[in-house]
Amino acid sequence: MSKEFSNGVSQGRLHPMSVAIRAIAEIFDRMGFGIAYGPELEDEFHNFDGLRMLADHPARDMQDTFFTSEKPPRVPRTHCTSVTLRSLEKLAKEGGTTMRMINPGKAFRNEATDATHEAQFYQLDGFAVGPTGAVTLAHLKGTLEHFYREFLGESAKVRFRPSFFPFTEPSVEVDAWFEPEGKEGKWLEMCGAGMLHPEVLKNAGLDPAKVQGFAWGGGIERLLMVKYGIPDVRLFHSGDIRFVYGFDQKEV
Amino acid sequence: MRVSRDWLQTYFEKPLPSVAEIAEAFTFHAFEIEEATGEMLDVKVLPNRAADCFSHRGIARELSAILDTPLKSDPLREPSNVDLRSPHLRVEIEDPKKCSRYMGAVVKGVKVGPPPDWLKGALEAVGQRSINNIVDATNYVMLNIGQPLHAFDAGKLKVENGTWKIGVRSAKESEKITTLSNEEFTLSSSISLITDANADVPIALAGIKGGKAAEITAATTDIIIESANFDGTTTRRAAQALKLFTDASARFQNRPSPELCAYGIRDVLSIIKDVAGGEVEGVVDVYPIPAQPNLAVSVTLGQINGILGSDFSLADVESVFRRLELATQVTDETFTVTPPFERTDLVIPEDLVEEVGRIMGYDTIAPVLLPAPATAPDQMRFRGIEKMKDMLVEQGFTEVSTQSFAEKGDIMLANPLDTTKPALRTSLEGNLNEALERAKRYAPLVLAPNETPKLFEVGTVFPKAGEYLELRTVPSEASLPDEALAKLGAKEGDLSKIVDLEDYGKDYEPKKYQLGAYKSFSVYPFIVRDIAFWVPKATDAMSVAKLIHDTAGSLLHQTPYKFDEFQKGEKTSLAFRLIFQSPERTLTDDEINGIMKGISDALTSSGYEVR
Repeated sequence: MSKEFSNGVSQGRLHPMSVAIRAIAEIFDRMGFGIAYGPELEDEFHNFDGLRMLADHPARDMQDTFFTSEKPPRVPRTHCTSVTLRSLEKLAKEGGTTMRMINPGKAFRNEATDATHEAQFYQLDGFAVGPTGAVTLAHLKGTLEHFYREFLGESAKVRFRPSFFPFTEPSVEVDAWFEPEGKEGKWLEMCGAGMLHPEVLKNAGLDPAKVQGFAWGGGIERLLMVKYGIPDVRLFHSGDIRFVYGFDQKEV
Repeated sequence: MRVSRDWLQTYFEKPLPSVAEIAEAFTFHAFEIEEATGEMLDVKVLPNRAADCFSHRGIARELSAILDTPLKSDPLREPSNVDLRSPHLRVEIEDPKKCSRYMGAVVKGVKVGPPPDWLKGALEAVGQRSINNIVDATNYVMLNIGQPLHAFDAGKLKVENGTWKIGVRSAKESEKITTLSNEEFTLSSSISLITDANADVPIALAGIKGGKAAEITAATTDIIIESANFDGTTTRRAAQALKLFTDASARFQNRPSPELCAYGIRDVLSIIKDVAGGEVEGVVDVYPIPAQPNLAVSVTLGQINGILGSDFSLADVESVFRRLELATQVTDETFTVTPPFERTDLVIPEDLVEEVGRIMGYDTIAPVLLPAPATAPDQMRFRGIEKMKDMLVEQGFTEVSTQSFAEKGDIMLANPLDTTKPALRTSLEGNLNEALERAKRYAPLVLAPNETPKLFEVGTVFPKAGEYLELRTVPSEASLPDEALAKLGAKEGDLSKIVDLEDYGKDYEPKKYQLGAYKSFSVYPFIVRDIAFWVPKATDAMSVAKLIHDTAGSLLHQTPYKFDEFQKGEKTSLAFRLIFQSPERTLTDDEINGIMKGISDALTSSGYEVR
């Protein structure tokens, strides 16, 4: 029997994205990460220039961007790394050197949609900074490995591959090993990451000689598609209740 | 960048490992491999390395470092001297910012014809079409060391006072050019041209593609070879404006060093001499803005391990720089690296840290957990939002997520993907009403028969006054009992104005759920049937439901839902709702009638009385 209805007044349902972000928030809460917010409609400084994605640099082509017809134009943020920059600005104003935040939120890319691409999606960005030498690439690996292990299962592990992002140096691509129940395990590309570029710290008003840290960012839908076997990313923001009810759910 | 294993092998004495092993080496130490087929690898060169690695030489250099196998020879470390006299060629550059160097060589008496097998084979191994010996030589050198080159038929250019004159200038408004592939482009002044300056005729789109006017043909005997450096931004904009992306434009937009021009002309002249004969008359080198040598970069062992969280030794780091053939001075624990001209990406200490991390391999860095934080993390705002959602879910509301783009709004997109939704939503209302209409249609699939869908969304909206996080519920007559929600009044609004989210959420633990694997819904229509019958008073409704379920077969969408039950004397009336749906086709009433008949019969033979 596939589904049971409770009698009487039924509860409603949370969207699986909310369910997932709660689980993510809880795992990172235990690792000392707060949750930061920022505007979805961003200025070019926080989305691009402050992150060293300068106009006319090919790096800007890495992400297909929507622009508003305002003058100057703003952008529906192409990633939640903009929130990282804003949080670092706040840290600089407070005169601090230590901060850990995740920024789950909606991001936008101007690209043709199909089963694995959607023009709007949720991203889990996050960062940790501390005094020089205190927050390293090894901590990035430890943090993400812990996260994936809690979120995807005990057998999860991570590996890094060289990559390039204008806002991190070194930059890595993060793969997670995932073993779905009863299926063979495989490596999956999960997010981009690296050590925050000194110029980004400087752009935020921090002194890169005194502060260093890591940052990462990746799509949340993809994580859920893998975990729950969701075949099409476009289901998430379709407003269709059949998707929301497509999972057996158990309160824990 | 497509590379062939055979081509790479020309750089090494030792036989290279298999394509699969090379792919693995690149994946974990340099670049992703997009595809590996036969002896060919498609290397996804990272943007910061496009200046030196869009070439077999650059890829071989990387492979040498990763495998710790020396290069047999390195064309960029050998002298680039060429005979700098060409009495019959002049070059005029209008704006040195757009063309920092232009080397031109005159070769007379070449014989244009098919290329030798090695040249044709090398190009075809990386999916390039062979054209003729001259054009192939220019393409070969570009793919080998990364310098784009072009050959013009000098016989088609105007000679004045015994000299040819090449011009580099901006196009005039509406000026036209026909390229080698016979496409005509109408230009604007942001696009740079190469011209036959004596006749003021365009002969190439600078840094992008050659023109028909000076095409090399079988009849060509005298040629002018271009080895130049065009500005990355200008080239990129021009390629985008013309929608013409070429091997040359891909390289120039990544700003290779103008030093490379000399190596390009040296190599192409040498190959042309071999494959097409002729006499090199000399080379003109106009280099108005010489590249500054790369500055030395210093990094300490402490910095490297302090950023990577690694435990590398002095010897480890020294070996990395040796393998990459980076000139390095070591004083105590400080490494001072002077990058070669082509490594324009090595500028700050962190760039060197990355070289150490990736060549050593990130797998050598063990994961470490962060220490416990000094202060409790702040997730109050998040918890406030989630508390609001939990409250609504308890009251029977279902959360949906909809698109942020809308037909109308205050802020318009300059480049919408869906032109019917060119604005950012100013309210969740439209999307939610639409979602509710659909939810009503699908309600029998997911809700009990006595329930009607109630939806909510929490999402950002973008009115002119500034974006905010809106909470909205539908339908409007649904009741909102909670004290915080009651403040909504109109059942919508800026969430942070309804309550102080931080305060509201500070002590709240959002409910957690475990979800099972996703079950796809069918796109085909469903059919609803109700069945009611009398059973003896003591009958277990669940076992009757199971009987119906088992009899109904696989087209039954879910557990039969008991929506009515009452007693009359010694009998109980039960009513069940059944939903039928197929994952692969539209069901007919006839076949469902058949199934219902079967259920009816099964109930009857169990002694129940179908009403």
